Amino acid sequence: MILHSALRSLVGTAAVVGALAAAPAQAQSVAVTSIVEHPALDAVKDGVHEALATAGYTEAKGLKWQFQTAQGNNAIAAQIARKFVGDKPDVIVAIATPTSQAVVAATKTIPVVFSAVTDPVAAQLVPGTGPSGINVTGVSDALPLQKQIDLIRKVVPNAKKIGMVYNPGEANSVVVVKQLRELLPKAGLTLVEATAPRTVDVGAAARSLVGKVDAIYTNTDNNVVSAYEALVKVGEAAKIPLIAADTDSVKRGAIAALGVNYHDLGVQTGQLVVKILKGAKPGDLPWETSSKLELYVNPGAAARQGVTLPDSLIKSATKVVK
Amino acid sequence: MSVYSLWGSLEIGLIFGLVALGVLISFRVLNFPDLTVDGSFPLGGAAAAILIHHGYDPFVATGIGTLAAGFAGVITGWLNVRLKIMDLLASILMMIALYSINLRVMDAPNVPLITESTVFTVLQPAGLHDYVARPLILLVLVVVVKLVLDWFFATQVGLAMRSTGSNPRMARSQGIRTGNMVLLGMGISNALCGLAGALFAQSQGGADISMGIGTIVIGLAAVIIGESILPSRRLAITTLAVVIGAVLYRFFVALALNADFVGLKAQDLNLVTAVLVTVALVIPLIKQRLRRKRVE
Amino acid sequence: MLSAQNLELTFNPGTPIETQALRGMSLDIPAGQFVTVIGSNGAGKSTFLNAISGEQTVDAGSILIDGEDVTRQPVWDRAHKVARVFQDPMAGTCENLTIEENMSLALGRGQFRSLRLAVREEMRVLFRERLAMLGLGLERRLTDRIGLLSGGQRQAVSLLMASLRPSRILLLDEHTAALDPRTAKFVLDLTERIVAEHGLTTMMVTHSMRQALDVGDRTVMLHQGRVVLDVSGDVRRGLDVPDLLTMFERVRGEELADDSLLLS
Repeated sequence: MILHSALRSLVGTAAVVGALAAAPAQAQSVAVTSIVEHPALDAVKDGVHEALATAGYTEAKGLKWQFQTAQGNNAIAAQIARKFVGDKPDVIVAIATPTSQAVVAATKTIPVVFSAVTDPVAAQLVPGTGPSGINVTGVSDALPLQKQIDLIRKVVPNAKKIGMVYNPGEANSVVVVKQLRELLPKAGLTLVEATAPRTVDVGAAARSLVGKVDAIYTNTDNNVVSAYEALVKVGEAAKIPLIAADTDSVKRGAIAALGVNYHDLGVQTGQLVVKILKGAKPGDLPWETSSKLELYVNPGAAARQGVTLPDSLIKSATKVVK
Repeated sequence: MSVYSLWGSLEIGLIFGLVALGVLISFRVLNFPDLTVDGSFPLGGAAAAILIHHGYDPFVATGIGTLAAGFAGVITGWLNVRLKIMDLLASILMMIALYSINLRVMDAPNVPLITESTVFTVLQPAGLHDYVARPLILLVLVVVVKLVLDWFFATQVGLAMRSTGSNPRMARSQGIRTGNMVLLGMGISNALCGLAGALFAQSQGGADISMGIGTIVIGLAAVIIGESILPSRRLAITTLAVVIGAVLYRFFVALALNADFVGLKAQDLNLVTAVLVTVALVIPLIKQRLRRKRVE
Repeated sequence: MLSAQNLELTFNPGTPIETQALRGMSLDIPAGQFVTVIGSNGAGKSTFLNAISGEQTVDAGSILIDGEDVTRQPVWDRAHKVARVFQDPMAGTCENLTIEENMSLALGRGQFRSLRLAVREEMRVLFRERLAMLGLGLERRLTDRIGLLSGGQRQAVSLLMASLRPSRILLLDEHTAALDPRTAKFVLDLTERIVAEHGLTTMMVTHSMRQALDVGDRTVMLHQGRVVLDVSGDVRRGLDVPDLLTMFERVRGEELADDSLLLS
C-alpha cells in the first residue's frame, strides 16, 4: 500500500520535473503591442513576424508570440505595458509613439524594440543617436524630407504653395510639419496647413485648401491615411495634385509617394529582435531609420488631377500603379 | 495574471478613482452631466507635463495642473449659471475648446516624461519596486482625498452643495446661492480629474493629446459599478464605492487582456471588458433574486 | 411688517397668451398677524406669493419687508426674512438628504454657510425636541432619508423647518392641498400651534373658504390680480361661507363661477 503510493508520487514528481525540463531553453517569447489597428502598423507587425520566421523562430518551434492593441486608448496602452512586463518576455516590440512611451516607462530591464516612431529622441525613448546604452532600440520611420520636397517639385514643377493636411494631435505629423515649415521656404515654396483632428475632418480640411495651394502633400498621418479617399475626391474635383508619403495611398489615388514600405520596416525591426533573441544587448544596437525607400506612381491619378508625369519619373519608379 | 499586472491595475485604478470621485460630484451630487472631464483630465496632464519638461518641481507642476483643470470646470459652470447654457451643452463646448487649449499648452501633441523627475520618482522609497511604490503612494493620496471629501460634504457648505443638486428651488429658499455652489462643485470635480491626469502622465511616461478620450465613460462606469456593488445612502460609503469601482474596472480590463487563452483576440478587448462589467452589474440583481427565493 | 404696494405683473406681454397676473396688488400685514388669502384660479394668489418670496420679479410696485425694499432682491437674499412651505411636499425638502440634514439646512436659512459641521450634537437635541411635538415618532428617525416619509409627514417637517429660524413673514402656499383630509387637518392644527407659539407673521394661501375663515385673524380675497375683499375682527368672526360669497358678489357684481371654492 505504502509502496504503491510512494511509487505514484515518484512517477508524478518525475513527470513534473520532466515537464519543467522540457520547457525548451529555446522557448523565446516576443510580445508585440500597437496603439491602434491600422494598415501600416499591422504591416509592421506582420513584418516582424516574418523576420522572426525567416530566422527560424516560429510558433511551431516554440516561439511564444502575443499581440495586443490598445484600441487607441492610452490607459489601455499603459495596462498592456504592465501586463507585458509581468509576462517577462524576451523582447517587447512597441509600435507607434504612445505605445512605445508606455512600454519604456514601464520597464528598464526588458529589451524594448520600437517601430514606426518618427522621432524617438523627442519622445524620450532614447537619449540620442547611436547605441542607447539602455534597454531600448528600434527603427524609426522618419523620412528624409528633402527627398520628399524633391519629389513634389518633380511632379508639380510650377508649384509655389504646398498644402498639408494633418492631425495636430499626432506627434509624428507635427514633427514633419515643423520641419517642412523650415525646409520649404529654402526651396522657394510656402506651406499652407490644414488640420484634421478627427478622421471625419480630413475632407473638410482638404476643401479648405482649394484655391489656396498648387499641390497637397501628406505624411503617414493616421487620420489622413484612414480617410485618404476624402482627399482624393477633392484632389480630382479641384484638380489639385496629391503627393503622399506612404506607398499604399498611391493605389488609392495619390499621384506619387516616396515612402517607407511598412512591411519592410517591420522586417527591419524583426531583424533587430532576432539579434536580441540571439543574445545581443539592445543598448549596444544603435536605432535605425528605414533603409529602403520606394517610389510608387499612378499616372491615371495624375491625369485625373490635371498633371502629366515626366517619363523619367515613371521609369525610376519601383512600381507603377494602374 | 502576473503580479505586475495586478499592481498595474491598482495603480491605474486608483488614478481613475480620483476621476470617479470627480464624476460623483458633478453627476450625482450636483446633478450636472459634465463632459468637461474629457478635456480637463488631459489638461491636468498637459500642464503638469509641460511644466516638468521646463524644469519645474513636479509637485508644483501637479498642483498647477490640478488648478488649471479646476478652472476649466468653473468656466463650464459659469457658461451654465451665467449664460444660461444647458449644462450638458456647456460641458461639451468646454470639452471641445480644451482640445485646442491642450495642444497649445503642450505646444505638441505629446510631451514625454520618461526621463524627467516626477512626483513618483521623488517619493520613491529605496528598497521598494517602483511598480509597487506608485500604487501605494496613490493609495495614500486617494484615501486622503476621499476623507477630505467626506468631511467637506458633512460641512454646512458641503450640505448646501448637496441640496443644490437635490432640490435647487428649496436650496434657494433656504438662502443658498445655488449658482455659486455649482461653480464651486464643478471646480472641485474637474480639479480632481486634472489631478488624476497629472498623475497619469507622470506614471505613464508622458502626456498625450488623446489621453482624455473616453475619460467620462470610465468615470461613469466606475461610479455605476461602485454603486451597484456597495449601494448606500451614506455619501461616505459611496465615495469608497466609486474608487473600488474604478479599480475593479481596470482589473476587468487586465483580465480581458489575459483572455487570449479562450481563443479571444486582441480586438475583442472592448467586448470582453463590457461583458465582465455587465456581469458585475448583474450580480447584485442575482443576489436579490436568490434572497427572495430563499424567503419563499 | 409686510407691505406690498401696487404690484403689477404681466406674463408673456405682447403675445396672444398675455396674462395680467397682478394688477395693482396692495396689501399690508402688520407684525404677528395671520392672514388667509383666498381666490379663484387665476386670481393671482400664487403669483403674489412668488413675488414676495422672490421667485417672480414684479414689473412695477414695491415690496417692503420690515421696512426694507426687497422688490428686486433674488430669493436667496430675502431668505433670512422669508420662510416658505410649498404646496408639493416634495418641493420643500431634499429627498435624498436625511431629516436632520434637511432641518440643518433650514436652521441655517439665510445664514452664511461655513465649513463647520452641518449637523452637530446640540442641533440634534433641538431637532428631537421639535419633532417630538409632532407625535409621529420622527425624533427617533433623524438619520432616515426624508424621502422615506409620507407626504403628510414631510409637510409637517417642512412646517417645523420653516419655524426653526425666526422669519419676518411665513408664506404657506396651499400647503395642505395635496394631503388627504385627515392629514390636512393634522397639518393645519400644527400650523396654528406653531404660528401661535412663535408669534409668526403669516400669510396662508388656501383654496378652501372654510379654512380661510376658521384659521387666522384676517381674510383677504383676491380677484383678477388685486384685493377685492378684506375682513378681520368682529366682522370676520360673524361670517360664514355663504356670507363670504354674497359679499364677494356684491363687490364684484358677478356670480362666482368657481365650484371648487364652494365645495371646499
